[in-house]
Amino acid sequence: MEHVDELIPAHAMRSLDPEDERAVATHLADCERCRRMLADYESVSASLAYAAPRETPPPELRERLLASLEPVVEAPPAVVAEPRRTRFGWWPRVAAVAVPALAACVIGLLVWNVSLRDDLDSTKASLASNRAVHVDNVGNVVADTGGHVTLYADLAPAPAGKTYEAWVIGSSGPIPAGTFDGGGIVVLDLTAQARPGDQIAVTVEPVGGSDQPTTKPIGAASV
Amino acid sequence: MPDRHTGKDPTEHLSDHGLLALVARGDREAFARLYDQYGEAAYSLAVRIVRDRDLAADVVQDAFLAVWKQASRFDARRGQPSTWILTLTHHKAVDIVRREDRRRAEPLDEARAAAAVDPGPSVDERAWLGVARQQVRAALRRLPDPHREVLELAYFEGYTQSELAERLALPLGTVKSRTFAAMASLRGSLQEMGITMEDEWNTSTS
Repeated sequence: MEHVDELIPAHAMRSLDPEDERAVATHLADCERCRRMLADYESVSASLAYAAPRETPPPELRERLLASLEPVVEAPPAVVAEPRRTRFGWWPRVAAVAVPALAACVIGLLVWNVSLRDDLDSTKASLASNRAVHVDNVGNVVADTGGHVTLYADLAPAPAGKTYEAWVIGSSGPIPAGTFDGGGIVVLDLTAQARPGDQIAVTVEPVGGSDQPTTKPIGAASV
Repeated sequence: MPDRHTGKDPTEHLSDHGLLALVARGDREAFARLYDQYGEAAYSLAVRIVRDRDLAADVVQDAFLAVWKQASRFDARRGQPSTWILTLTHHKAVDIVRREDRRRAEPLDEARAAAAVDPGPSVDERAWLGVARQQVRAALRRLPDPHREVLELAYFEGYTQSELAERLALPLGTVKSRTFAAMASLRGSLQEMGITMEDEWNTSTS
């Protein structure tokens, strides 16, 4: 089955055009995995609501709403599954489905980029503007023509007292590009830009990060 | 509005999932409590999108009526009730904007004016809402400008992907990949900030 990962975030925002919307709806009807991914991205999309400027609803709205409720007739009991409560709230639950989903996403992004080659001229431009590369043992990176690099890392939690550090390695040597702790999918916008041919590497460093790598990279790839 | 500190409200200690289960059985108090929790967030979102307070009130009423009628079909495994409520509100508002093409009208832009005088979090039982606002805005600020732009135009202005391509003068493929990357980054930022959604924001501030 061909999944529709690359369309799901836009679908969660109701931003798809009718043709893609229909394709996603058709696919979702048969695909539990993509439904879980959609649920995940709906929660991300819904969080954007909190960025809207505060408006206090008029009290009449509450009265009008409550007065308009018709009795519920013979409603079957709802399925209640209390979500697991942990320090990260909704996140572990999301991560449980999202780790495979996002891994699939990144693969999907790669496949998507490839499939776009057969597409219209306009989409060829996006191929040229974004490059997705797999980094062994780490995950994937996506680089755009502006040199902006996003790392999608899927790593075990860093050992105690250690952190992961990303590097952009060009002709002048390694440049620190951000630290992260691992323990699930991490999306990291690198703080250093990369030129074509530069390497992206990840090492394990003492907490706080290092100015120069002190260990051998656990993974590296050229962008 | 029920006061979570008096202990007089029988629905006080219920999670949103618990409240929704009661709503599915026709419990008006539980429904009122869900409205008190999320009515303001839903209304703020609707005003931002449709740019008209009366129309926004209609949107919120429609969305909450859908909650009342469809609560028994809500699948708790699919996520938080608040996500469902805000998604219903968002989609209804966007549908109105598309139908009436209100975006192009560009009225007085009250939403932006209000943003300048946003009173921020208040010291009431919904202080979590203020925290949520600050955190999500911080997460948005961390995005590169072009990523934030596509999210804002898609989510708040109701642009489809091809409309975005036209407005931004970008190839459709670029808009699609940018939207995908922006959402993935936002998701990552929310995670990195240790953001806990509504239930936890709720309980952590009481």
